[in-house]
Amino acid sequence: MGHATFFSELPRLRALLPVLTWRDLRVRYKQSLLGIGWAVLLPVSMMLLFTFVFTRAIGGASAFGVRMPYPLYAFAGLVPWTFFSTSLGNCVNSLVANRNLVTKVYFPREVFPLSCVASALVDFAIALLVLIALIVYFHLRGDWTFTPTPALLFVPVVLLIQIALTVGLGMILAMANLFYRDVRQVFSIAIQLWMFVSAVVVPLPHDGSFWAKLFALNPLVPIISAYRDCILNGHGPDGGAFLYAAVVAILFLIFGWVGFRRASFRFAECI
Amino acid sequence: MDRPAVRFSHVAKRFRLGETHDTLRDLLAYGVRRLLGRGTGDGRSTFWALDDVDFEVARGEAVGIIGPNGAGKSTVLKLLAGILRPDRGAVSVDGRLAALIEVGAGFHGDLTGRENLFLNGAILGMSRDEVRRKLDAIVSFAGIERFLDMPVKRYSSGMYARLGFSIAAHVEPEVLLVDEVLSVGDAVFRLRCLERMRRLVHSGTTLVFVTHDLDQMQSICGRAIVLEQGRVAHEGPARDAVGHYMSAMSRAFADRPADLHADDDGRGGTVELLDLRWFDADHEEVVWVRPGQGIRAELTLRLVRPVRSLVVELNMRAATNEPLLSLNSGRGDRMFNGDAGVHRIGLRLPEIPLSGGQYFWNVRIWDAEHGTTLLDTPFRFPMVINDGGHGTGALCLDHEWSFDSVEAATAASDNSLSLQGEGWGEGALVGVTPHPASPLKGRGAGGEYPPGLGGAREDLPVR
Repeated sequence: MGHATFFSELPRLRALLPVLTWRDLRVRYKQSLLGIGWAVLLPVSMMLLFTFVFTRAIGGASAFGVRMPYPLYAFAGLVPWTFFSTSLGNCVNSLVANRNLVTKVYFPREVFPLSCVASALVDFAIALLVLIALIVYFHLRGDWTFTPTPALLFVPVVLLIQIALTVGLGMILAMANLFYRDVRQVFSIAIQLWMFVSAVVVPLPHDGSFWAKLFALNPLVPIISAYRDCILNGHGPDGGAFLYAAVVAILFLIFGWVGFRRASFRFAECI
Repeated sequence: MDRPAVRFSHVAKRFRLGETHDTLRDLLAYGVRRLLGRGTGDGRSTFWALDDVDFEVARGEAVGIIGPNGAGKSTVLKLLAGILRPDRGAVSVDGRLAALIEVGAGFHGDLTGRENLFLNGAILGMSRDEVRRKLDAIVSFAGIERFLDMPVKRYSSGMYARLGFSIAAHVEPEVLLVDEVLSVGDAVFRLRCLERMRRLVHSGTTLVFVTHDLDQMQSICGRAIVLEQGRVAHEGPARDAVGHYMSAMSRAFADRPADLHADDDGRGGTVELLDLRWFDADHEEVVWVRPGQGIRAELTLRLVRPVRSLVVELNMRAATNEPLLSLNSGRGDRMFNGDAGVHRIGLRLPEIPLSGGQYFWNVRIWDAEHGTTLLDTPFRFPMVINDGGHGTGALCLDHEWSFDSVEAATAASDNSLSLQGEGWGEGALVGVTPHPASPLKGRGAGGEYPPGLGGAREDLPVR
């Protein structure tokens, strides 16, 4: 056997991933009355909260350039955002929380951050059903029309790019937190800020200012906008920006994964 | 087939002491110290847990790894399992590997026994179908049928351990690594675990077994490696290795007598334990004891105030922490009447009927008049019984063999059996020679009785 290479460990990884994902989901929803219902309730309540803020407290969302019912706009952003932030939030802790396994059993350690992303993906799929219900509701109400276009077929590509970015970042965060526990604290603040610069609930400025240019570096903006464009606006994503996000995502995936593997043999002694 | 199942070539493993930076603040502080030139050099903050350890295990062989705490036994297993990586040298394992370093590692308290079974099975490398196929066997081996659908957080620690071991024992690996896990569970279950391991070895599994229980080790492993301070101190047949280990232990105790003056010896209390020593019949202080040797303990106490009914109790435990012996001076209504001052209390033991190993004593002193405990030390007074590495089994009793021939004379009857040897321990039959039986010296668990072949009746005195 020698020391396992990436490819020799793939079968093991494939066998373990579903099991640990199932464990994460099972444990998360055990002893909870609503169970998997929380996967629906969390983004829905966030959507209601922001709808209240932007339509009652601050005033019309149209001031920001939103040309569709605001709840729809917000929910279409919150669903991928929740997937992203939940995944990373779980990844940060994934190695430290499984200390017992990391120090007592050997298997490819990637499975910990990967299963965090996979279990959040299940929640994402459920929330997507709610988005469909919301689209049907607003379409039937008549103040906005849904037109299915071929751009819908691009959604899986957007999802894959988002997963690549999430997995890459998740691996970096998981191992960074193993070596320095501060990472988790910093992360919990940073993720709040990140939401507001990712066009999740409110569009970002496009005025060519310094801030607008800075926000444009955030790879999550083109990804979240791409979901909205492909599903609600009926056209494909902004080509250049999305390509940029895709490249950044793939670079994160490669460097995150390689770095994780290189460091993984030190996990057991440093945890 | 000639390739060894496990190869451990010139492996060294270094660990850091202290200086791991768990928070950024530590790292910053450390960086500043380094910049100011007050940093601690790397050499001082690391130590070599293993240093040039080299061995191989052939396919189907069972090898024990023994040695005192901190000798690097568990590090060897973790390197074999791939949990750690060597700093020097190379480790290779050929074949499907299962490592049982902790039973039930990865169990989740909120999940039921059944759910954990699938989870742990997958973690140890079993497929879902495999777990499903072996489910009944695993559950009945663990004896938890009724509790299968209960969350394991409500399991007793014994049930938890039984389920954990049972899963690992059913992985059917080609190479099995077991670390000191059989100290859990009750005696019956421990025996079944050993039996299971033995059967795996018989069916061709390669076993590397780390344990403190020398009996368990010898009963399964043919060969053993003694580790001392990260180096291989001895390698050879299990019995020789145990003998080596025990003499090394004896020497270590001779160099470093038990530290008698720990805080818990009652300083400041009514009774202070000043000294505990063992002497042999010639009044020489004893470093290690031979089975059957008569010894005498001498305790020196200081009483701060008079105690009218003083009871002294000496208790002994095995290295595995099992209580073995309790000697209580109050049992024969012998209470000492002690004035304030220093007293010496003697205890004579004609022999200690235990086989070789490491044992620990504690001292307890009571005031029987008021029913209070005046002193109760931890089990930290060691005693090594050195039987030269021959004993398996806990006890070592005087015994006597006899040999009668009941029916004489077929053609082959000239071939009588001779029993010889310094036979201590299992199976004292050494050879078949055409001589009448010669005296057999033996102590310990008996061997197989010879089949009824001709020969003169002979009583075989023992010792």
